[in-house]
Amino acid sequence: MKKRPDLYTNYRNESSIFPTTFQKFWFGLLLVSSFAAPFILSSYWVLLITTSLLIAIASWGLNVVSGYAGQVNLGHGVFVGIGTYVSSVLGGVATTSVIGYELDMIIWLPLSGLAATLIGIILSPVSARLKGLNLGLVTLALVFIGSHFFSNLKFITGGAGLGRKAAKLTFMGIDLEAGITFGNFILEKNDFIYFFSLILCILLGLGVKNITRSKIGRAFSAIRDRDIAAEALGINLFKYKMYAFGISSFYGGIAGSLLFTLSGGVEPGSFSLLYSITFVAIVIIGGVGTVLGPLFGAFFFTMLPGIIQALLHAFGVGDAGFIFNPAEIERIVFAFFIIFFLIFEPRGMWGIWFRLRNYFKAWPFSY
Amino acid sequence: MSNVISFNDVSLRFGGVQALKNVSFEIEENSLFAIIGPNGAGKTSILNCINGIYKPTSGSINIFDQDSKDLHPDNIANLGVSRTFQNIELFENMTALDNILIGAHRHVDYGPVRSLLFSKKVRQEEEKARKISEDVIDFLEIEEYRYSYILSLPYGIQKRIELARALAMQPKVLLLDEPAAGMNNEETEDIARFILDVHEELGITVVLIDHDMNMVMDIATDVVVMDFGEKLFQGDPQEAAKNQKVIDAYLGVG
Repeated sequence: MKKRPDLYTNYRNESSIFPTTFQKFWFGLLLVSSFAAPFILSSYWVLLITTSLLIAIASWGLNVVSGYAGQVNLGHGVFVGIGTYVSSVLGGVATTSVIGYELDMIIWLPLSGLAATLIGIILSPVSARLKGLNLGLVTLALVFIGSHFFSNLKFITGGAGLGRKAAKLTFMGIDLEAGITFGNFILEKNDFIYFFSLILCILLGLGVKNITRSKIGRAFSAIRDRDIAAEALGINLFKYKMYAFGISSFYGGIAGSLLFTLSGGVEPGSFSLLYSITFVAIVIIGGVGTVLGPLFGAFFFTMLPGIIQALLHAFGVGDAGFIFNPAEIERIVFAFFIIFFLIFEPRGMWGIWFRLRNYFKAWPFSY
Repeated sequence: MSNVISFNDVSLRFGGVQALKNVSFEIEENSLFAIIGPNGAGKTSILNCINGIYKPTSGSINIFDQDSKDLHPDNIANLGVSRTFQNIELFENMTALDNILIGAHRHVDYGPVRSLLFSKKVRQEEEKARKISEDVIDFLEIEEYRYSYILSLPYGIQKRIELARALAMQPKVLLLDEPAAGMNNEETEDIARFILDVHEELGITVVLIDHDMNMVMDIATDVVVMDFGEKLFQGDPQEAAKNQKVIDAYLGVG
């Protein structure tokens, strides 16, 4: 007998990530095509997708602390920076000006996440005292403290304006810097970063989903909506805010550790206030408090410059003599999108996707 | 019978406002204890003090023979004290079921790392939480609202879901702040029935605040009458109705 497709027969099935075969099929297809991507797409696209994946990981982190647990964090970029510098120091090459230990990826990747987690946990008691805008201001201060340290700890970061090389890719003793040749095929360094990012993105994405469908995620949402009621129901606010900051900064640190290996170098000025705000924008555009939202937002953010450039080129504007240069137009369009989403689509791109999906689910009966 | 909660000379002051003035009383185990009084008499302040949201300015509160001075609201909740709020404090962005699952929070035991990995233990514990929640949903007859978002539900149902959330904690003491406020006769009868069921079938000590005198007089076993932060009367509900001080302050001459 054929089962009814959407009927759950047990609790476990109901809380599973892909409850229907249909969803499993599409996820599988996406997975296979993702792993095949470097063999098909040009290195330019691989680079863009890798950046998107890593930014998605960092944005998931911000979404956990701000979207789910409701703790405003305007300094997420600092955690990304901490991840970057821990990986650069542990995995980078020592020069006359900066330290580096040339360790294996398998060591620096988790450690950069854990180091960021540690800082996040140390800072979390602040959020137990402050709420809303006040907390936002403190995290804003964090950005400036972070920038100060990044610019002045010259033996770690190379100093402002100079920077240093990012971590070297050595995985389980295999040097991936020069790329590896399989027969006719050459897998370059960036292809490997792509694979690592993809695997991390899948694992950490499932991690976010797991949090949201378990007690921890529910407690986060409870704190976000009504903290007094949450406390009266036995949720220890201090502890759960600490969890939120810990998980969030772990994601930030992991993303940061790989993000700058793409370009090979990192300059302390990268972790400016604008950088931290970018993550807030990505989460808002993608969809606050949703699992897929930050992924959408990250792809949107990374692809937007390319799309705008292509459009400008097509219409012949943006050449010399136009009042705005392409970078300015990019920022204006991005700002416009933030305002647009805040006013018209508070659930972000996820909200649009959700409605489209439901529309086609019921198609041709749209009501 | 032993005392579940005892107030010893409790005073609570907010700047110039004396919310509670030397209030002492005991709540016995398995009683259905009602707190009544006019607006601003300090009824909700009493619940907030039991809950640990307010700390008394002087005096002490014992919960299960434990001084609650150094306990946070979540510690007190974990002792088995659950509550509903006067103005519904449900988590609006979640479904009714998720709200009730949050009620079962203290029965679910695992940490954040397990949660990230969704290990076997998490799956078992989640199933346990779901069973607790389903029992409560069954008990309060709210099956059809399980997957509805709170904002889309009518007021009366929201009240019932808040009660469900409090019950999912499987408390020993349940504090109800005006469960029948804003309800019509039929809904009030339903709520009164549920309160009696909670009290009799589940054996939970209920502390109840309400302005619906018919309901309070019908179901309460003990009553405390408050006025301007002071205790006017404590005892049997029927006697309270005859007490001249209570009539003057609150009930009026009918």
